[in-house]
Amino acid sequence: MKRIRLKNVLLNVLVTLVVLAAVSPFVVMLGTALKPSAESVAYPPTLWPKRPTLEHFADVLKPAKFPFSRYFLNSLIVAGSTALIAVVVGSLGAYAFAKLPVPGKKYLLSGTFVVYMFSGILLVVPLFRIFTALGLYDSRLAVVIACLVSTLPAALSMLGNYFKTIPDSLEEAALMDGLTRVQCLWKIVLPLSLPAIMSVFVYVFMIAWNDFLFASIFLSDPEKMTLPVGLRQFFSSKDYVWGRMMAASLLTGLPVVIIFAAVEKSITGGLTAGGVKS
Amino acid sequence: MNQATLPPIKTLEARNRRLGFIFVLPALVLIGAVILYPVGYNIYLSFWKPALNPAKPDTLVGLGNYARLLSDPEFYASLGVTFAYVAITVAGSTLLGGAAALLMNRRFPGRKLARSALLLSYVSPVISSVFVWIYLFNGLYGMIDYVLVDALKILPVAPQWFDNPALSLVLVCLFDIWRVFPFALIMILSSLQAIDSSVYEAAAIDGAGPWTVFRRITLPEILPVVASVVTLRSIWNFYKFEDVYLLTKQVPLIGVYLYRTAFTVNDLGLASAISVVLFLIIMGAVVALASRNKGERV
Repeated sequence: MKRIRLKNVLLNVLVTLVVLAAVSPFVVMLGTALKPSAESVAYPPTLWPKRPTLEHFADVLKPAKFPFSRYFLNSLIVAGSTALIAVVVGSLGAYAFAKLPVPGKKYLLSGTFVVYMFSGILLVVPLFRIFTALGLYDSRLAVVIACLVSTLPAALSMLGNYFKTIPDSLEEAALMDGLTRVQCLWKIVLPLSLPAIMSVFVYVFMIAWNDFLFASIFLSDPEKMTLPVGLRQFFSSKDYVWGRMMAASLLTGLPVVIIFAAVEKSITGGLTAGGVKS
Repeated sequence: MNQATLPPIKTLEARNRRLGFIFVLPALVLIGAVILYPVGYNIYLSFWKPALNPAKPDTLVGLGNYARLLSDPEFYASLGVTFAYVAITVAGSTLLGGAAALLMNRRFPGRKLARSALLLSYVSPVISSVFVWIYLFNGLYGMIDYVLVDALKILPVAPQWFDNPALSLVLVCLFDIWRVFPFALIMILSSLQAIDSSVYEAAAIDGAGPWTVFRRITLPEILPVVASVVTLRSIWNFYKFEDVYLLTKQVPLIGVYLYRTAFTVNDLGLASAISVVLFLIIMGAVVALASRNKGERV
């Protein structure tokens, strides 16, 4: 018994160490955001400020000093629309694949799997030329469309896996009662799938929120830049302040961490189900 | 009587089929427009020298871009770096994720909180994490150098994390392992939790030691998941761009080479040839893997 207890204590210490190591960069991020400017470049470095200040957070939120709120709004528009489109189009497609006879279903399904292997970087050159030809260069719409490349196949497969777990008998009963297929989807399948839909929305939102590649190529007007490209540009402008960059980094991460925490259980479930499937 | 004049009999089956088609259509159109068409256009473009001025016509160069690519030493160099990067990061993140999963697969106080904390690096935006890492590793007042050189005195001088190519490779590998190990952790943890506890009880009754239990029960159960984690992560990291490009200029991964060729050198023809070759490499690897797996099962 004693040996088991000792083993447990040792394992708990080990877990604590791993967790501390994993989160330490975020502690530094917060600590630096709260440091007065001189302390963030002092040597030897300090982990936590002696006298914490909120001035950097205040600066970040002042549009005259730092265009953070504009970038934030742009990111919100891009990530929100990408997630919305992926969820609507994905739900319809996934429902059809899971529940309806679609001609050529098998080929279409394996086709979406091949699409999994395309990464944004492979398509960035043709998309750049296509968007330029269509006059979409330097528009947020271009970034939205491009972000769908990396998210729509995953959205289809995550939602499809979930829809398959809803028993057909539920819908059959509803069809007997005179509901149409569309009503079935709207009144039965979608409400039951709300956790899955939420987690797909969050998943796509996070990918679009994080995107640097597409935004860096398709956007050139500072008015339209999203957080990753905007912050990066600010960082290379030489007059950056560490505290301000860290405060901006924290505020950039905050929305995705919050919405992820809200759906954590179902999103990690969906991730593992989808991952194992493919 | 002419069949065509009769009103069409719409069976339920046919109606469902039509509805299924309508529902799938938006997804198909989007996938076609944003993925398949660009892929086709990319292949087409790889045979041309696209004009920088859109008003001017492109020039057909046939296999010229491919010839240039295959004779470019930079291409082979970045392929080599990429393979090293993929091998190190996939092994590192899978092992670390697997070890963390084994640690987490017990009951202990604060388990939920520990799990959420471990996911933080995976969830946090790349740009935020990159900034902290630059701050942590910078050569003037970085905490890592301070600990390694002044506090623990492991190293005599501060290493040039961002300027020395070998150290930069170490840096980007460490960054990626830290960032993506939670993916392996979640996947492996969920497969560990799916193992029936009665198997362990039976093994304990039979007097099996912890190593035997791990090798004979745990490992075979999680192996399929580990295999898919390794496959997915290898594909994803083969195409890696953002993390590395944002951290340092010294690690020419193939994704970075492609990006620079396209948007710094403005050689879109060569860049599209790179895309085609990369996709062929990944396709080849996946097909080889799939057929080998099939062979094993038979």
